[in-house]
Amino acid sequence: MRKYTLLPFNFTRISGKEVLVNELGDMIIADNGTVRKIIDHTLDDKELYKSLVANFFISEETIPTLLDIYASRLRAKKDFLDQRTALHIFVLTLRCNQNCTYCQASSQEEFSSHCSMTFDTMEASVRLMFKSPSHYLTMEFQGGEPSLMPDLMKFGIERAEEINKTEKRNLTYVLCTNCRRLTAELLAICKQYHVLISTSLDGPAFIHNKDRGRDDSYEKTIAGITKAREVLGQDAVSVLMTTSELSLDYPNEIVDEYVNDGFHDIFLRALNPYGLAAQNNDWNKYNDRFIEFYKKAFEHILSINKQGTFFRENYASIILRKMLTPFTTGFVDLQSPAGTVNSVLVYNYDGYVYASDESRMLAEIYDYTFRLGNVHDKYENIVYGKKVRNMAKVWANEALAGCADCALKQFCGADPVRHHSTQGDMYGFRPTSLVCKKNKAIIEYLISLIITRGEEVLPIFRSWLR
Amino acid sequence: MNLEVNRDIYSDSVISKVVYWLSGNYAVERKLNGNTEIMNITSIKDEPIDEKTLHHKVFQMLNDQKLRNIIEDETNDIRTILFAKAFADFDDLTEEDLTE
Repeated sequence: MRKYTLLPFNFTRISGKEVLVNELGDMIIADNGTVRKIIDHTLDDKELYKSLVANFFISEETIPTLLDIYASRLRAKKDFLDQRTALHIFVLTLRCNQNCTYCQASSQEEFSSHCSMTFDTMEASVRLMFKSPSHYLTMEFQGGEPSLMPDLMKFGIERAEEINKTEKRNLTYVLCTNCRRLTAELLAICKQYHVLISTSLDGPAFIHNKDRGRDDSYEKTIAGITKAREVLGQDAVSVLMTTSELSLDYPNEIVDEYVNDGFHDIFLRALNPYGLAAQNNDWNKYNDRFIEFYKKAFEHILSINKQGTFFRENYASIILRKMLTPFTTGFVDLQSPAGTVNSVLVYNYDGYVYASDESRMLAEIYDYTFRLGNVHDKYENIVYGKKVRNMAKVWANEALAGCADCALKQFCGADPVRHHSTQGDMYGFRPTSLVCKKNKAIIEYLISLIITRGEEVLPIFRSWLR
Repeated sequence: MNLEVNRDIYSDSVISKVVYWLSGNYAVERKLNGNTEIMNITSIKDEPIDEKTLHHKVFQMLNDQKLRNIIEDETNDIRTILFAKAFADFDDLTEEDLTE
């Protein structure tokens, strides 16, 4: 073996192996003691040596001849920064026609007379959205329950379509709805403008109805999904689940519900500590139980795939895409620099712009830390303002204590809003951070599966990434 | 419990990073006596400490962090070049900028 120099990489220990990860997120799994041998130049495994050279862990030249390719791949891993803010969330109203037990958005009564966006605010918000240089703009309508405001949604879409005659961006529309009130009028708007439906389904009826605070919620949601599929097409409807305390005991039942309803994927999503959910009195316990829930549900998903049915877990897919492909993802919770502002902006019913969906939820408990400005302000003053500059100091995990030395940081992200919310400090303290604990547990679990059951799980993982 | 760490083997940076991760569960008092650092570790949750397990864990963390620090020190320059190549907007530079 020739003389070599080290290239930047980190390592951790999982399932009795050393897992080496370079700046691109490429992994090499090796026996214990390998890192010491690399550093001491006492490697005796020629195949491993070749692999380390080929994958940019060591270099036979002081400056690798393929450094430009390495740099280009690194840039590709962060290309969501080039794309700029693509997701624009419009919170039409806080009014809602459900009583979800864990509502994170501080929803109000259906017939409440306040907490709804004005047409003037919508007009200014749409104009502001087009100031983003992104070629792709997604208008996501949220609430409360945005289907209670069909005229406002239609107005927003029509304004966007009008402005886009000259802007020529790729526009996508998403309506986040509980499907209780998918009227013919609303579905006609959705059909005309190709609006995608994103709804919530927490599992079988006994879970969904309990979580959503209504005995008919499951029935209405399933009816709404069926109706929307008929009008808009099978693939125009996607669903999200939220793992309530009740859900934690039913991982297999929840997965089976999704399979039986004809879905091909599920996003096993933990509760976030906002709104009513923030009243949970033991987040440590919930977090530990969620990780166990996730693993049980994931095992069930693997068994469904092994029986020949394609069914994907989306959180794992996002991590696996970072791990097993040269590409990144647009998922805002697992980005560094963080997805807040860089990938998402929120135009709230109150006429203010917020850094993320969670940021506007904090505003409902009078925490305006992430209120960036008014929809009538200049775009530059909002996205390059003092608040965003302060967030920028703590939104890259490459520069955060605890994260900077973590071998798994390439698969994870920074979350200043969550750390502000849970620890009172945007910087965050990783040894007690529940975000860190959850992400690390899931990432380590996926890597342990690759180490211990690679032949079984890798074909399934790769099928999810196609 | 007290742990003695040889500062000729483990630098302040290495020890500090390990203490950072321990501080979620433990209070760590550090004292320097010549080249020996004495770490007094107490549980902040009033739970009993399994001294043998914690001793093993701390030294595993110290050894791993020492390896990480060596890699970081040896690759600092190439990492800077790599990030500059990846993210600097060279296309925006003029000939004048490059010859300054």
